[in-house]
Amino acid sequence: MEAQRVEKAKFDRIRSLQKAPIDDYYVSGHRTCAGCGPAINYRLVAKASGKNTIFVGPTGCMYVANTSYLCVPWAVPWIHAQITNGGGIGSGIAAAYEARIRKGKYHGPYPNVIVMAGDGGSADIGLQALSGAMYRDHDLLFIAYDNEAYANTGIQVSPTTPYGAKTTFTPPGPVVPEGKKLWPKDLAKLIVGGHPSVKYVATASIGYPLDLMNKVRKALNVEGAAFMHIHAPCPKGWGFPANKTIEIARLAVQTGMWTMWEFENGEFKLNIEPKKLKPVSEYLEVQDRFNHLTAEHKAKIQNFVNQKLATLGIKVPVEAVTA
Amino acid sequence: MATKKFLTGLGAAATAVKMADVDVITSFPIRPYTGVMMILSQMVANGELDAEFIHADGEHAQLSICHGASAAGARTFTGSSGVGVTYAFETYSPISGGRCPVQMLIADRTLDPPGDFGSEHTDALGCRDQGWIMGWAETPQEAFDNTLIYYRVGEDPRVRLPQFNCHDGYFVSHIPGEVEIPEQSQVDAFLPPYQPVHPLDPQNPVGHGPQIFPDQGPALEAMRHNAMMASMPVIEEAIGDFGRIFGRTYSPFLEEFMTDDADLAFFINGAHAQTARYAIGHLRERGVKVGLVKIRFIRPWPTDAVMESLSKFKAVGVIETNSSFGIARGGGILAPEVCASVYDAPQRPLIASFMAGLGGEPITLNEFYFVAEKLSQIARQGKAEKPVYWLGFEE
Amino acid sequence: MKSYQVKIPKEKLLPEAGIVKAPPPNGEQEGMITGCWRVLRPVIDHEKCTMCRSCWIFCPDQAIELGEEKMSVKLKYCKGCGICAGICPVGAIERVPELDFEDGVVRLEELF
Repeated sequence: MEAQRVEKAKFDRIRSLQKAPIDDYYVSGHRTCAGCGPAINYRLVAKASGKNTIFVGPTGCMYVANTSYLCVPWAVPWIHAQITNGGGIGSGIAAAYEARIRKGKYHGPYPNVIVMAGDGGSADIGLQALSGAMYRDHDLLFIAYDNEAYANTGIQVSPTTPYGAKTTFTPPGPVVPEGKKLWPKDLAKLIVGGHPSVKYVATASIGYPLDLMNKVRKALNVEGAAFMHIHAPCPKGWGFPANKTIEIARLAVQTGMWTMWEFENGEFKLNIEPKKLKPVSEYLEVQDRFNHLTAEHKAKIQNFVNQKLATLGIKVPVEAVTA
Repeated sequence: MATKKFLTGLGAAATAVKMADVDVITSFPIRPYTGVMMILSQMVANGELDAEFIHADGEHAQLSICHGASAAGARTFTGSSGVGVTYAFETYSPISGGRCPVQMLIADRTLDPPGDFGSEHTDALGCRDQGWIMGWAETPQEAFDNTLIYYRVGEDPRVRLPQFNCHDGYFVSHIPGEVEIPEQSQVDAFLPPYQPVHPLDPQNPVGHGPQIFPDQGPALEAMRHNAMMASMPVIEEAIGDFGRIFGRTYSPFLEEFMTDDADLAFFINGAHAQTARYAIGHLRERGVKVGLVKIRFIRPWPTDAVMESLSKFKAVGVIETNSSFGIARGGGILAPEVCASVYDAPQRPLIASFMAGLGGEPITLNEFYFVAEKLSQIARQGKAEKPVYWLGFEE
Repeated sequence: MKSYQVKIPKEKLLPEAGIVKAPPPNGEQEGMITGCWRVLRPVIDHEKCTMCRSCWIFCPDQAIELGEEKMSVKLKYCKGCGICAGICPVGAIERVPELDFEDGVVRLEELF
């Protein structure tokens, strides 16, 4: 009599760009900025997930910019969620399908339920709903696309905004020379650390599209809750030219400002283990949001990165030069 | 064969939820509504009800999960009380505007501060502008019946609106009364399965809730208004069918008691109507011509029915078990709506509010006698000395 | 029973609950045509192009089409961000000012 989880189809690995799925389920015709990182992410996720998908879109750039006005660019079902409740709406959809398939009220395959929330809707105002969904182990994938700010409302600070970044709520000035004083939350570690039922957690970056798409598929193959934290640079918010989005994404990984790892079946695995890191200043100096930083601030960031990588087992620290 | 059971309001509602074959239930504990979820969780555990019983991370989450589930085609049920109801406030308009017929049981409770478990209607009434169908059950039988009626009305393709299925905390939620439980076949005849119009289904992709430009706003709001208005004839239809199938006939919007020759009337919402009827019986013995008008739906507010009914009386006392500090006329929430209803009447009654039962206190027979006395005075003098009386604080 | 419904003229009616149809896969959303944003147009040199698909995979707007023989740009939607030109490993994409083209979006009488 015990309620069984509904069975679902499994994805294959994408071996190369030449073998990547051709079809697009996030199509042309949306108001995202030219060069938008989160838009690239959406396209890759939709491509990896395919036709049997339902997207949940909490308020943010990937809601407002994509659906202006009264139209949608997704060729699959999509529903708006409040910025507070992506995890809740996603849980509800997952539960509805479990119940209706089991009770014979729906005759079709179990869908891929994907919540596509921004960093605010995942690490901050949406954190509770995310945690609830992970704790309850609903069969869904929660993706936090991280452009490191509340971008849609005009670039305000969020808990994943890096230390030292300028945003419209953390402007630098004599009282606060660094701009943002607080160190960012590590969302993926938050999820892995305390949610015993979550079987798959991964970080990814739009700079590495095959890796991203395959991780999405692994996450969807899992029976139960999965979480991905995806780095998606924002030309407008970070202050770099629109044609540099992918370069910036790769530079983040090459300097250790973004790390690539997976947590699968209880085991932690590094996807990119750099043998030598570029100094963070190379990353900071090409973005306007950091152009007020002194050598001292940059040294602090270098130390933070060295420490963060050390905890992941990557011991290739770059010297933090304070002058 | 219908059976008779002695059930609390919560027990009766849970029984109706089971018979309605709900698919998704979201729980979170808060007094006094929690019991309905305790009963439902046992029904699910026993295999009596096949539903996803979800432990939400708070009331806002309860509603959010129901929203997603309803949009995906499930019949959903949730509930709360007091500050739990207000915590979920953000979700109410998205759910009603998204035309998801979620049902929420509200066993009402006085709002904080501070903690007060007693009944007041403010928690639910505070949500009256959010586009949900809303009404109070006076007894456990009505709690059972309303559960089915509200799903039937809310899920009707002409309506598709969520519903607040309310009743007084403790007075109805916890005090048992006799409930006639029908046969499953009767329930199935009255309440068809939920057929969503555009569910989230990969076999038929749609987008729910894209951003709009302000000039698209007026039409969308007018359409929501029309849906709420469309619910009125559907309510009449449903109540008619209910009577035929279950043998219990309700007056759809207003219930009158001893009003035929009355000069005075108590206008009331919810469980204190029980005490009011006893008071009226005694008052009638003393020659006071007073009757009771009980309102069964707060939303949609039955303006015409209220105007027609209250025009008969010289003076009407609106019993207010709610608070809205600084509202027009300085009393409770119902009186301004009552006054608006009779505004166009050729013959308007004199209206006074009576703040009663606040904090969850019972309204005593003596308090009803006081109301009747004041109404008599008002009718005699042709005007009220003041618009609002606070029972327990008057000389 | 009197109805308090408001009459909405047909031309003002919107989809109920704001629920809208999805475009088809590989299709387009004409509700937001973005080709008119473009200042620099990507021009592909098909001789140099190796069909590695980098430009196609990284386009945020699905504006590079994967043809049988060659890659092409959907001018109706390309915003001119230049990611494709930057990512091309063989430098086969050049960014040319829209003004240089007879059919440049800045010159069009009617946009698409």
